[in-house]
Amino acid sequence: MLRGFEELRSQADGVWQATQSRTVIRVPIATCSIAAGARETLEALREGVKERGFDVGVQAVGERGLCWLEPLIEVVKPDGSAILYENVTADKVEKLLDEAIDGVCADLAFAVAEGPDVEGVQRLDDFDLWALQDRRLLARCGIIDPENADHYIAHGGYSGLVNALELSQEEVIKTVEDSTLRGRSGSAFPTGTKWEFLRSKEREPKYLICNADEGDPGAFVNRILMECDPQSVIEGMAIAAHATGASYAFIYLREEYPLAIERMEKAVEQARERGLLGEDILGSGLSFDMKVWVGAGSYVCGEESGLLASMDDARGMPRIRPPFPADAGVFRQPTNVNNVESYADVTLIMQKGLEFYNSVGIEGNRSTKIFSLSGHIQRVCVVEVAFGYPLRDLYHAVDPATYQERRKLKALQAGAALAGILPTHLALKLPLDPDAFKEHGVLMGGGGLVFIDDTACIVDMNVMFSWFLEDESCGRCTTCHGGTQRMVEIFRRIGSGGGRSNDYDKMQMLGKALQYSNCIHGSASPTIMLKSAEFFREEIDEHIIERRCRAQVCRDMIRYEITGDSDKLLEAAAICPTEAVVQTDEKWSIDQARCIRCNACKDVAPDDVRIVDALTDVLPLAVAEARAAG
Amino acid sequence: MLDTEATLEIQELVAEFKPGNADLLPALHKVQHRYGYVPKEAMGVVAKQLRLGEAHVYGAVTFYSEFRQIPPPKTRVDWCSGPACRLKGGEHVRRALEATLEIGMEENTEGDKLGLHLAQCNGTCDFAPQIWVDGKVVGPLTAAETIRLARELKDGAG
Ligand SMILES: Cc1cc2nc3c(=O)[nH]c(=O)nc-3n(C[C@H](O)[C@H](O)[C@H](O)COP(=O)(O)O)c2cc1C
Ligand code: FES
Repeated sequence: MLRGFEELRSQADGVWQATQSRTVIRVPIATCSIAAGARETLEALREGVKERGFDVGVQAVGERGLCWLEPLIEVVKPDGSAILYENVTADKVEKLLDEAIDGVCADLAFAVAEGPDVEGVQRLDDFDLWALQDRRLLARCGIIDPENADHYIAHGGYSGLVNALELSQEEVIKTVEDSTLRGRSGSAFPTGTKWEFLRSKEREPKYLICNADEGDPGAFVNRILMECDPQSVIEGMAIAAHATGASYAFIYLREEYPLAIERMEKAVEQARERGLLGEDILGSGLSFDMKVWVGAGSYVCGEESGLLASMDDARGMPRIRPPFPADAGVFRQPTNVNNVESYADVTLIMQKGLEFYNSVGIEGNRSTKIFSLSGHIQRVCVVEVAFGYPLRDLYHAVDPATYQERRKLKALQAGAALAGILPTHLALKLPLDPDAFKEHGVLMGGGGLVFIDDTACIVDMNVMFSWFLEDESCGRCTTCHGGTQRMVEIFRRIGSGGGRSNDYDKMQMLGKALQYSNCIHGSASPTIMLKSAEFFREEIDEHIIERRCRAQVCRDMIRYEITGDSDKLLEAAAICPTEAVVQTDEKWSIDQARCIRCNACKDVAPDDVRIVDALTDVLPLAVAEARAAG
Repeated sequence: MLDTEATLEIQELVAEFKPGNADLLPALHKVQHRYGYVPKEAMGVVAKQLRLGEAHVYGAVTFYSEFRQIPPPKTRVDWCSGPACRLKGGEHVRRALEATLEIGMEENTEGDKLGLHLAQCNGTCDFAPQIWVDGKVVGPLTAAETIRLARELKDGAG
């Protein structure tokens, strides 16, 4: 055992045990639960407990990832039995305190987490979306206080670092190689190999970077880890420092995650206070420290060479590689860049050992991956499942009612803007395995999964993503900034009724040209366009040829019309921000020149307003094109 | 450049930062944290402190979407441009906001009372489509609800 770790651990155990000696109410404080009102709940609970003179602890913890149930409160009794209560907003706190401290508050109960069965309440382990998970990286989320390093240490924290420090650099790297861990950002690059690049460099100092830029829209995997179990990321980086000889690290964290910044900064400080960062860590001779470095809202800065440029006092423009970070990274020194989740995986490997780590998953992708699920589903959530888990089963668990009603799921977008899009019939057949996604020419990516049903328009999705890609293009190479601009123009034109029969040829040509971009941002940007043209041709054709948007989303292809004459139209006229709902001689109509198609009138008078196709009766495409050609 | 009181204050603010030390963004963050935006004078001071050209610093300020060059509004409305919000009617929300407040993204209303900012998904997609009013998530919103809220903000602001 390394110097001082035993004391650290017994002190931490003491801190944790003290919180468990009486009833404790755990309140998740993280971005999703805060949005649902958890801070107010925490406040009301603290006041309520004080007023009633209860001997009950109220503890802020991380969140479990079941966003739609937030605030998801847990009441843990001294005998270890624990019940989860759903959607406990501040107004329900009185009721909870009335009933849940001495007994069970049946109306608010979501599930029994620990202890004996309760009549009429399901067990958490039987709840489908929980049962299908393998919670390893997320095991402590929702249990411990992320702002208390002792809680982490009392739950096995830093035993991985201790284990690693007892091994040589080569042995740690060999272990990481044997785990088959591949970069969790979506890069899928073998982590052990990357570490060996850095270890073999003579030049010092060497640096580590934790890529916490998580710019993929719809991905919030790294955020959960940093907000709810920040020490696990720090521990993984310390292990990497030992294995590679790095002496300092930067956590490149996006500004849009203020709570993650706060928690990571606090966690670094607490680790330092306990001698887990700094000089001669635990008497092992390892000296390693780190700081949080805050980004400023740029997607390409998630790309590692853009990230490095951004730290190099400049605009975050990706550079042509080589040199790779292992040769010229921060301050042109040897550097290793890994994703937040990759470091957390290393912690798991070193804490639990290879046998445990490799016990689930598939060949080449062992253990688990965290996913954030959003879009047209009922249960927006963050889950951790073993690699290879069937996507269809996951979908059914996050959208049970839709599955029963067979409302139509249309597409799945995994891995955000650069990764492509797949129609349901292909997507739902896939296992959660990056290699399986690759066979269809798309990427599984960093963990964002966006489900899209038939109320969405594929042209509109392309307008949105290509605009994002254009906006985030760094502007260094014309290929990328000009190419992405053309993508936007083409889809905007198609969406406003100006589609041309040769647009598909243009897309192909653009797709080829963009391959010559400086970095992957440019070369991967046409994926979604090309995949849409491949899989959703019929819908795009409708836009081009019939000038019709079947989902009635593309704003230039639709028109709002008044069909009724109820009193609700008065309200519609009042709500319209452009005064487009007008009444002349008792008759209601919409001034099309003013209408911005915001849908507000239909929101308040749904039976009196309808949406109709606006362009289907203009000239058919073939006639129009023939005329234009003279 | 003559050192005015304002530039002296900024000099003090960024005195801890060094050239070649990955300090440009931290310095700009510190300035923005203090003033709510990055004033023009600050770019010169930061440039001098880090021994960079002023144009270089200006380039960085304009490159990153979170650095503002105009004073912050009293009430900031962030509109989420993310996919889940878009799928659930985020465009309606945007049109409603822009029409009601009569400004576009990254603009402020008269007297900097209200400002609109195009934001990226932060993972509170359960509330899609949404906006954040001074950082607080408000959603899911229909266009009608957005308009009511925007009118209230407009009347109440000041
Ligand atoms: C445009 C673009 C954006 C990226 N954004 C991120 C990001 O936000 N987070 C991340 O970890 N990796 C991102 N990457 C991947 C990084 O370049 C790099 O491969 C990764 O940080 C390596 O970590 P890993 O090996 O642990 O996966 C991005 C890549 C590209 C091309
Ligand atoms: S898409 Fe708006 S919060 Fe995720």
